[in-house]
Order: sequence, then structure tokens, then C-alpha cells
Amino acid sequence: MIEDQHVLESLPAYALGSLDESEAQVIAGHLAGCHICRSELLTFQEIAGQLALASPQAVPSYDLKPRLMERIQSLEPNRPKPERWRFAGRRLAVGAIAGLVLIVTLAVSNLLLWNRLNQLEVLSGPLGMRAIALQNTDAAPNSSGFVVMGADGNNGVLVVDELPALDTQYEYQLWLVRNGNNTSAAVFSVDESGYRGMRIEAPETLLAYSSVRVTIEPTGGSAHPTGESVLIGSLFNP
Amino acid sequence: MLKKSKPDDFHLIKLIAQSRNDAINELYERYNRLVFSVAFAIVGDQSVAEEITLDVFVQVWQRAASYRPELAKVSTWLIAITRHHAIDILRWQRSRPEANSVNWEDIALQDGPLIHNLEEQIEGTLKKEQVRKAVAQLPEEQRQALALAYFKGYTQSQISAALKQPLGTIKTRIRLAMQKLRKLLDED
Repeated sequence: MIEDQHVLESLPAYALGSLDESEAQVIAGHLAGCHICRSELLTFQEIAGQLALASPQAVPSYDLKPRLMERIQSLEPNRPKPERWRFAGRRLAVGAIAGLVLIVTLAVSNLLLWNRLNQLEVLSGPLGMRAIALQNTDAAPNSSGFVVMGADGNNGVLVVDELPALDTQYEYQLWLVRNGNNTSAAVFSVDESGYRGMRIEAPETLLAYSSVRVTIEPTGGSAHPTGESVLIGSLFNP
Repeated sequence: MLKKSKPDDFHLIKLIAQSRNDAINELYERYNRLVFSVAFAIVGDQSVAEEITLDVFVQVWQRAASYRPELAKVSTWLIAITRHHAIDILRWQRSRPEANSVNWEDIALQDGPLIHNLEEQIEGTLKKEQVRKAVAQLPEEQRQALALAYFKGYTQSQISAALKQPLGTIKTRIRLAMQKLRKLLDED
């Protein structure tokens, strides 16, 4: 079993990202449970990082920094605001937002515990709010996750727990699936316990999609799913 | 505004996680040439490399809170994001202008500050020279395999096909190259 053997010889190529996908996934699986190989990998990743210094030096245009700052400034205002918040507008205090986040967080924490006890797939709450339990796969057999969404699907939150920590070459990516097409909705990593909660940034209502999946992708995310799925779930109304 | 004594990279990332514009500005000043150089070496196109550079810093802005210092230095993290993004684009393009192909022989020490602070600039220049010397000490066939992996994002199987060499030979070349670089860079 590969889990029982160290993979030291493959780590230099893994650090360069030059292993074939299937081999890389095997190594990633081993790394998840082997601190010796993880430590060795960090050294080779550092070497790979230093190789950048040997790249022929090139200089970007002078206007690149203003373009960056402009893009960053445009990020916040362009985020779509949910319809039902619009009327509350400017009067919605920071404390109220924090309170809402706390309520959702507590609710989701309870739902995660509830799920472990009852294995329910969909929970319905007041005002049509739904919590959809995601199914884990063999790639992350201990993980769990929920998508919590409002009745109109305009707002949604993803909460995951006990997902394996990934090395710096990989992150998790959330996909919204419709007619076989995948739309990226988030790229994220998890904390030491495998936990992460975040708002789902969907281009349209979540009700427009049939399912969600979380895959392992190269750092920064992919244009299309390329890695193994760790969590999947159906968004269809029961 | 940032204090006159400049924060280290990790501190900058923490400030960026708090949406501090001056922090992302400072990080850009420190690393824009390095990020752009790597992107340009991979995609070989000025405008595409600039878009990649923008995307990298925007990603840092959006995901600074998820940075884990125990896993990689900030510069290593930036380079990892840059390479993955650039190689992803390269793979989608499926071809690359040969006129812009990069190999280690193209490498030449250039003037011009990579880093603002003079002391850091000298240190950075020495480090660049050290890495270039280390790469130059590799046997030609190892440098060639390493360049295809690093700048073209080829997998070992693809390198094997491109160079018409057995896969096992390529695996050995990559492994030996990285192990030798590790030894050389540790020594200096």
C-alpha cells in the first residue's frame, strides 16, 4: 500500500507540478497522512520557488500598478447585493451584520452536528431556508459539508468540516453544476481542523443550478474541474 | 499608512487580509518584477503575462486570510500561484511561440532593482546569482528536463515524449536535478 511507504523519490517532481495527474493524486493522498514526506516536500517547494530567481528578468508596464489598484477598488462595489438587503440599505449596522453572521454560523454548526446524528440530506427552516447536506467521497471520507441557502437562492453559504489539509500546490474549489457545465463559485483552503465557512459567490440564483461539487484543484483554481471530487450534493428541491 | 520600518512579508499579508491598500501596494512593489518575469518566461507574451500578474495580486488580495506561513514563504506562495496560473493558460493555448522559448542559457544577470531597499536588493541579487550558478552546474540533459517542467509545465510523460527518452530516464533527471540544486543551494 502506498500509504505505508514514503514517496520521497516522487517529491521533487511533485514540487514542480510535473507528475501525471493520477500519480499526483496518489502522492497527495500519501502526503495527507505523512508528516515526514510533507516536511520533505516543503524543502523541494522552496527550491522550486527559488528557481523563479533564475528566470530571465522582465519588467511589466508602468501602468500595471494603477490597473491593479483600480481592479482591487472595483471588487467590493461590484459584488452583487441581495435584493432583500437593498431596502435596509445604509442603515444596516455593522453590528447587525455581525449578529446575522453569528446566527448563521451557530445554525450551521448545529446543523453539522445534527447531520452527524441523523444523516438527513435536506433540512428546511423558517421562510423557506434550506440546508443541503453534501455527500463525501472516498477522497475525503471523514469530511462533511452543508450548503445553506435562502428561499430565493440569491444567497448561499458553504460550510465544510474535516476536509484534509492540502499542500500549497492545491486548494479546494466549489463548482455549481447545470446541464453538465461547471461554474466556479469559490476557491478556498481549510484550517487545521479542516473547517471553512464562506459565502457562495454565484453569478445568478443558486436555484438555477442542479448540483454542487467540491474538487481538489491547483492553487488559484482551475477553469474546469480537473481534480478529484471530495463533496457533492444536489440542489434540487425535494 | 505603513510605518517607515517596512513590515516583513508575512505582516504585509496580514495587513492585506484587513483590506489595507498600502499593504498590497507594498507587496506589489516588492514582487511585481519577479511575478511578471516568471509569467513572461512561461507564456512568452507581454500582455498575457501582465494579466497573469494582475490576477496573482488580485488573488492575494482576496485570499490573504487563507495564507499559511508554516507551509511556504510568501515569495514561494506567490510563485506557486503564478506558475499554476501561467501554466494553466499555456496548456489551454496548447502551443507556445518558439521565438519566446526559454532555456536556462537565456539567463543573464541584469541591472535594475528587484527590491527597493538597497540591502535587500544586494541580498536579492546575490541570491539570484547563487541560483543561476547552481542551475548552470547541472548537466545539460537535467537542465533541459527541468526547463520543460518549470517553464512549459510539461509533465514527466510529456517531457519523455518531447525528448524521445524513456519515462524512467526523465524521472531520474528531474529527481537528480532537484536533489543537486537542493545540495548546492544549501551549501552556499
